[in-house]
Amino acid sequence: MPSRGARPEDGSGLVPTDNSTQHKEDLSSKIKEQKIVVDELSNLKKNRKVYRQQQNSDIFFLADRTEMLSESKNTLDELRKEYQEIENSEKTKIKK
Amino acid sequence: MEAPPDPGPHASASASAAAPLRAPEVARLREEQEKVVTNCQEKIQHWKKVDNDYNALEERLSTLPDKLSYNIMVPFGPFAFMPGKLVHTNEVTVLLGDNWFAKCSAKQAVGLVEHRKEHVRKTIDDLKKVMKNFESRVEFTEDLQKMSDAAGDIVDIREEIKTDFEFKAKHRIAHKPHSKPKTSGIFEAEFSNDLKSKDLLADKELWDRLEELERQEELLGEIDIDSKPDTLIANGEDTSSEEEKEDQNINVNMMNQVMDSLTPSNCYQNVTNSELFNGQVNSQWNCSINGSNSYHNNEDEEEDDDDGGDNENDHDTLGAEDNSIPTIYFSHTVEPKRVRINTGKNTTLKFSEKKEEAKRKRKNSSGSGHSPQELPMIRTPADIYRVFVDIVNGEYVPRKSILKSRSRENSVCSDTSESSAADFDDRRGVLRSISCEEATCSDANESILDEEQQENHQKKLFPLSVTPEAFSGTVIEKEFLSPSLTPHPAMAHPVLPTIPERKEVLSEVSEGTTKRVSKFKAARLQQKN
Repeated sequence: MPSRGARPEDGSGLVPTDNSTQHKEDLSSKIKEQKIVVDELSNLKKNRKVYRQQQNSDIFFLADRTEMLSESKNTLDELRKEYQEIENSEKTKIKK
Repeated sequence: MEAPPDPGPHASASASAAAPLRAPEVARLREEQEKVVTNCQEKIQHWKKVDNDYNALEERLSTLPDKLSYNIMVPFGPFAFMPGKLVHTNEVTVLLGDNWFAKCSAKQAVGLVEHRKEHVRKTIDDLKKVMKNFESRVEFTEDLQKMSDAAGDIVDIREEIKTDFEFKAKHRIAHKPHSKPKTSGIFEAEFSNDLKSKDLLADKELWDRLEELERQEELLGEIDIDSKPDTLIANGEDTSSEEEKEDQNINVNMMNQVMDSLTPSNCYQNVTNSELFNGQVNSQWNCSINGSNSYHNNEDEEEDDDDGGDNENDHDTLGAEDNSIPTIYFSHTVEPKRVRINTGKNTTLKFSEKKEEAKRKRKNSSGSGHSPQELPMIRTPADIYRVFVDIVNGEYVPRKSILKSRSRENSVCSDTSESSAADFDDRRGVLRSISCEEATCSDANESILDEEQQENHQKKLFPLSVTPEAFSGTVIEKEFLSPSLTPHPAMAHPVLPTIPERKEVLSEVSEGTTKRVSKFKAARLQQKN
């Protein structure tokens, strides 16, 4: 069967560094990536297999498609929340 | 990676050639320090990634034996994959390093992973410490840079001393209370009044004389006060740099040194005090006041099991001054005296308050009969020898040397029942380490009561007790110490045994001869006989 490998990221965010803008940029790029993952997963045909890469290695384990989709969506939401928070805090700073 | 120290003389503009803080060098120092910081940051990032990977691996290993086989994409080569199965899910081959492998179960592998994570965590902590350290150095260098840009070559180093600092010990009282060490070309204040005869003189006469002298000093003081502050500050700096090497709080002895260099014009305020050294040190240190705000940056010293030599007492902080002279504010952190004490079980510990209290409680509860009050009071060197006696056949025999551990076994002193040869070396270490330090007298007081044996070695650390005695600062040459010895046994605490042999020796000596024999030699002679 044709199968397709998908690689959802390990969605843990980086520790904020000195500049919040740098952190913001990192977050935004991660959000983009995560968006792509979610889109791809949702656009898969039903017979497709989804594999997940083991961290720091070349081995891919078979994973459940629906599960992976929901997981990726969750991580995307979390990243977006974080981004929003930083934006809000910056806005309050600017206002002050 | 250590930041390079300040470089030596450099060919530069003639105006700045003599300046100790040159801008390009300081900038370079800062650069290097920042390099270290960024390097540390990168390493931390790397190790955090490793930690993350290990976490994921652990998770995978814990669930791996749940299924007999997994469908996976098997890699062959970097870009090609092939569907396959992962079988024997409980058998894991672990690399131990140097191309050695170990076959173990998934759980065992998890244990190995935990062990490695521990190591990674430790590395990360160390790197963080280094980074923090260098970050503070960068800060300091920045301030240094600002300061060197601001003003010229003169740097004022100032230390604020809290007036409420209590000196627990009695300070040395000068034999002549108002006499000062001679400073060349400057007015000398000499009083004929003795400490004892002070009561005899009328107070009014004394005050009149004092006022007269003050007036004279003021005249001289006004001339000198402007030319002296640099040397004064320089002297203060020298003594404080000496102190940096010692575990030290503000010490009476240190102030002695400083006092010697001060001119009377600056310290005439203390003339009225019978004791020269009081909490009025503040007035001397503020001779050249810039009127600036001061801030102290006391780094907290970590009370870990580091070696005693790692104490950092000095922390230089810079205040960027708008005034003429840039100022470095210097302050001491209070360090508890680190003493290796013998806990009696072939172990030595570093001194700490809690341990001391615990030990005290232990001693009290053990019912050995020694409570802190019953320990013999040591007031003179003679008392030490009184304490360190051997019991031979039920009689007290003075010891040849208080440093010999063997002789301590039969002695009357506390804690000797558990002592051994190993302890002797430690005590020697204590002696050496203590002799390098000038401890505060409060510690001496405390430790005299508890760790008598250690403190007995340290004659320097005797409590400066209330009654004027041998260590009151008065040095009185006596032919024999017999007149002082004979009253002491009467005064001494009942625990202290009297030493009959010594008395005999003294009586022999005092009877006939003008030849002066030290009591130690006399004791030795007696023992030979």
